Amino acid sequence: MIEVTTLTKRYGRTLAVDELTFTVRPGQVTGFLGPNGAGKSTTMRTIVGLDRPTSGRATVDGVPYRDQPAPLCAVGTLLDAKALHKGRTAVGHLRALAQTHGIPDRRVTELLELTGLGAVAHRRVGGYSLGMLQRLGIAAALLGDPGTLILDEPVNGLDPDGVLWLRTLVRDLAAQGRTVLISSHLMSEMALTADQLLIIGRGRLLADTTVTELIDRVAVGRVHVRTPDVEPLAALIRARGASAERDGTDALDVTGLDATAIGLLARDHRLALAELTPHRASLEAAYMDLTRDDAEYHSEGAHQ
Amino acid sequence: MTETAYRLTFRRILRAEWTKLAGLRSTWILLAAVAAVTVALAGGIGWATRRAAGTTITTGTVAAHAFQGIDLFALVLGVIGIVSITGEYGSGAIRATLTAVPRRLPVLWAKTLVLVAAAAPVMIASCVAAVYVAQAATPASARIGLGDGTLLRATLGAAAAPLVMAVLGVALGAMLRHTAGAITTFVVVMLLVPALLPAALPGSAGDRVMPYVPVAADQALYTLSAGNPFRLLSPASALVALAGWMLVALAGAAAVLHRRDA
Repeated sequence: MIEVTTLTKRYGRTLAVDELTFTVRPGQVTGFLGPNGAGKSTTMRTIVGLDRPTSGRATVDGVPYRDQPAPLCAVGTLLDAKALHKGRTAVGHLRALAQTHGIPDRRVTELLELTGLGAVAHRRVGGYSLGMLQRLGIAAALLGDPGTLILDEPVNGLDPDGVLWLRTLVRDLAAQGRTVLISSHLMSEMALTADQLLIIGRGRLLADTTVTELIDRVAVGRVHVRTPDVEPLAALIRARGASAERDGTDALDVTGLDATAIGLLARDHRLALAELTPHRASLEAAYMDLTRDDAEYHSEGAHQ
Repeated sequence: MTETAYRLTFRRILRAEWTKLAGLRSTWILLAAVAAVTVALAGGIGWATRRAAGTTITTGTVAAHAFQGIDLFALVLGVIGIVSITGEYGSGAIRATLTAVPRRLPVLWAKTLVLVAAAAPVMIASCVAAVYVAQAATPASARIGLGDGTLLRATLGAAAAPLVMAVLGVALGAMLRHTAGAITTFVVVMLLVPALLPAALPGSAGDRVMPYVPVAADQALYTLSAGNPFRLLSPASALVALAGWMLVALAGAAAVLHRRDA
């Protein structure tokens, strides 16, 4: 279990994380979502003690990372897969990490096989592709058989096979009762992998929700209605507290009332309907909506 | 998840740092190359002075001939020390290292000890070899061996001098984190400052301060002849001065490593 309490991190004048409070529970995959620059990596770095919080605290199973007697067995971390000495081999890299905790060589071999790097284990990592480096990073994170995993954008650079492999792996790890925090800036990926979602923007928590809740929230959506009786139907809809906007001469965009209710309303008042189409907002749109004002770097027209 | 005996201990961190140092070919290639140059230089100088003839062999001349390459060794070991830390910062591997050892300081001590442990045998072997190779052209009867107490002490001093620079290099690397910046600083502090200091300080102040700068104190460990441009400390005082420098440098490195974000 990861507990982050009013965590604030400031780099000079830049406020990277702003009084962030959340709990990541075991037994499920928690997706950490936010636009680039939202503070995801900073938060993760602070949890494992690489960055010192300006204020607030973070603990894993109730203990600050720094005070863990066996840090690699408490938390497995993948922050930046490319952050490796290019002259080392995969085996050499893992062995040095394992030795700090007295983890035996056979565990290193086991993980190289698990991550599919067995064949290239004795090659220098300078020649690895990003996908191979991600696999090596995941092997390093699993070395101590940790109860908590913190993975920063682990699918970057993985091929479709690798993405599927990783998704299955993290779901299995969570099913074993581990705590899994996995960051991404892609809602689509998280919707498939995560159960719980932490969405942040500009260092603040925007939503702590489940994937299902978020789908329910966006399911409200909008209903497109074409009818020859535009004015009377609009009046009836508004009388129910929903909103109806004219779209041309014979259509309405309705929000706040679902298609069934509109159909019944029209029948009860003997009004004709030519078309009744519900438009669901996608998860992606809901996420965009949540983070629209909080993206650090906007691209012109990206959110239209 | 399972309860295991896996936990951090300093011995294990030492072992891990040894794996890292030994796993890089560049460390061994550099050490071997400098050892070869040092011994070859000793042989060349010994042979050349012998040919010049008339020179009487004393412990002073043997040390002067044999240990000509020690300054080079000191420079190279300083750089190896620097890169053992800045290399990890440059590649980002330091984050993996410090995630495994979040208390951080044991990494600094382990890196220092491991480098000294790796370099010490190479240094001792090269210095002993240099003493004999420098006298290869000397008639056997006139040779001075390591049975001579003074020469033995100077030989050990010559072996230790570059190790001091390795320690200072590790500390400087931890403080500055950037390879180029740390090497530049090292060269400036080690070579340029001693050259400029006498001119910069008024009168006798320069003469009093000079023996204590790391390079001069380092040379005092293995110099036996009096023919120096400036006064040297006694080997014992030099050792104390160098211990002081190492302590200050490591304390600074520890403070930076402990405080700054990785």
